[in-house]
Amino acid sequence: MNTKSWVKTACVILSVSTSIAAHADIKIGALYPLSGSLALLGDESFRGLEIAVAERNAAGGLKGEQIKLLKADAVDAGQAVGAARKLTSVENVTAVFGSYSSALSFAATQVTEMAGVPYFELGAVSDHITERNLKYVMRSNPTARNFAEGTITAITQIVGPSLKVDPKQLKIAIIHEDALYGTTIAGFQKQLAQAQGLNVVEVLPYSAKAVDLSSLILRLKGAQADVVLQTSYQNDTTLFFRQIREAGFKPKAVIGAGGGYSMQDTVKVVGAQNMESVLDVDFPQFQTSEKGAPGISAFAKAYKDRFGSEPRSGHSLINYVGAKIFLDAMEKSESLEADAIRASVASVDIPVGGTAAGMGVKFAENGQNQRASTAIMQWQDGVLKTVYPEAAAVTQVRFSDHP
Amino acid sequence: MEIFIQLLLNGLLLGGTLAIISIGLTLIFGIVRVVNFAHGEFLMIGLYAVYLLNAHFGIHPYVAIIPATIFLFAAGAAMQRFIIQPLLSAEGHIQIFATVGVSIALMNGALLIFGADVLTVQNISFGTSTVGMGAFRVSSGQLITFAMSLVLVAGLHWFLQNTFVGRAVRATAQHRNAAQLMGVNVKKIYIFAFGLGCACLGVASGLIAPQYPVFPTVGTFFVLTAFVIVVLGGLGSLSGALVGSMLIGIVDSLAGYYIAPDLKEVVYFSIFLGILVFRPTGLFGAGRGSE
Repeated sequence: MNTKSWVKTACVILSVSTSIAAHADIKIGALYPLSGSLALLGDESFRGLEIAVAERNAAGGLKGEQIKLLKADAVDAGQAVGAARKLTSVENVTAVFGSYSSALSFAATQVTEMAGVPYFELGAVSDHITERNLKYVMRSNPTARNFAEGTITAITQIVGPSLKVDPKQLKIAIIHEDALYGTTIAGFQKQLAQAQGLNVVEVLPYSAKAVDLSSLILRLKGAQADVVLQTSYQNDTTLFFRQIREAGFKPKAVIGAGGGYSMQDTVKVVGAQNMESVLDVDFPQFQTSEKGAPGISAFAKAYKDRFGSEPRSGHSLINYVGAKIFLDAMEKSESLEADAIRASVASVDIPVGGTAAGMGVKFAENGQNQRASTAIMQWQDGVLKTVYPEAAAVTQVRFSDHP
Repeated sequence: MEIFIQLLLNGLLLGGTLAIISIGLTLIFGIVRVVNFAHGEFLMIGLYAVYLLNAHFGIHPYVAIIPATIFLFAAGAAMQRFIIQPLLSAEGHIQIFATVGVSIALMNGALLIFGADVLTVQNISFGTSTVGMGAFRVSSGQLITFAMSLVLVAGLHWFLQNTFVGRAVRATAQHRNAAQLMGVNVKKIYIFAFGLGCACLGVASGLIAPQYPVFPTVGTFFVLTAFVIVVLGGLGSLSGALVGSMLIGIVDSLAGYYIAPDLKEVVYFSIFLGILVFRPTGLFGAGRGSE
């Protein structure tokens, strides 16, 4: 073999190896809190994304290549920045999916935006995330404002008619944990209640780490609140229900805005009879009619097959639906460049009731899905059942001996 | 007036819950002179122990106090022997780092084993009912916790004052080297005292399990308040911890009603700072000069 052919062979080998490199998997980052105190729902959210990616891979992957999901754990904003940097600069991911917590999302999106990598938010609810007009940040799930709208709708469309009273006659108390999540939703609730002419008698923030809410409950009792709106995590939800029982306080209706109210564990701790007929506004959960949410039972089955248990909350569903929307848009996109992906996402148009979470899809210029909506559910015999909107409802609302 | 009395009752009963958690901390603080940042996590371990005994054997949390106490005594003694003892002659902040490390390790260990799920004891009626006293309502579980916290403080006080080991413990607390010169085995006393402090949490776990669910970070909900109470009452003072707990409990309850639920921490921290400015060693502290 002479020198020339050596060079030729070397060239061939080189080009083969580079083409192998080019055909490596498509890397997608998954940024969630997978340890620490947010881990339970962080992990539940991640499972939804995992199933969507597995489905896409089974259907041939993205542009004919398999997707490799790179997990990044972040428990606070500092770690979110670190994780996003690692994903975008070291791993060179095509896009990042996340993140359950708004605090993590805020921090991580700053990094990905600067790196020009699309960030698909599937679960964080703070409105402000998409109000910063970041070019490559897009969000499929409903926001805090949608949650607040849901709770007010629950008063005007469900509680009022069921109890046969004018909603304006009801005394409404808003209680919420005093960090970003609770404060944001409660702020919208106040604003929307005023706009609807509802009578808000108390607005009481408290620390989610409180070990005693008895004085807050005495205030609600003193104000003779008919309807209590609570925005809370799990521990304060269980504490509230234990202590209203101890204090003998019986409001006509209790309406939660997701968080602790949607968790099966909460009802286990509180007791099914103590949470009977409590309303909850959240991402759609699993007791939803297939009519209003096509594909939901298939997802529930896929979840059970993969993880061997029932879903722990609707977080997996909303993350699955969001991930599916964005992955499909990426598949349809001309290329996997950020701008092409963005254009492809912007052209998605699914009517309300067209996804497994019941919501529709149409992205605004700022990247927020305008057709995202929440569902209203009710705890009945220890099961969280969708009661509104009607297309997705599986049962009638019932108020009996409450709570 | 009725509301005021109900608030006072709620506050006192909350104080009982806080006291039963703080007693162990003040013991360790006062005798071993170690700031145990893992205190909340030992409580968490105790709560899991009570939960497991309830879930698998149907044991009532109040009965589970006995095995939980023994278990936590062993866990505390082991922590002193294998983690704190090698660092005894090191500077204070090294010990603090060690306990913080233990705290984080235990919390994440629990996360690994149990997940972040919220769990609670099931199928119990005793300790979860509500007792009406005229126009006032209190939880029977809190009432029992309150009574037990008084009994525990009285019992520990008697033990420290009247038994041989108790005297050795107090001697060690007063002056480590002098006690050693008098023939006290200081290392053993430390192991015993740390175990005793943690064992108090075994009692606490059984008592509060009917009221509070358990999850890996449950300790962080209580531990900051416990620190405030212990410093407020005076490091190492049992009666100080008791009075401090009641004070914080009542302030918590009154401020939550008359000021705002989210500002109650602000109120009791202000009182805390105010007291420390005038009495830096706390309400019942031994004063300057104690080790």
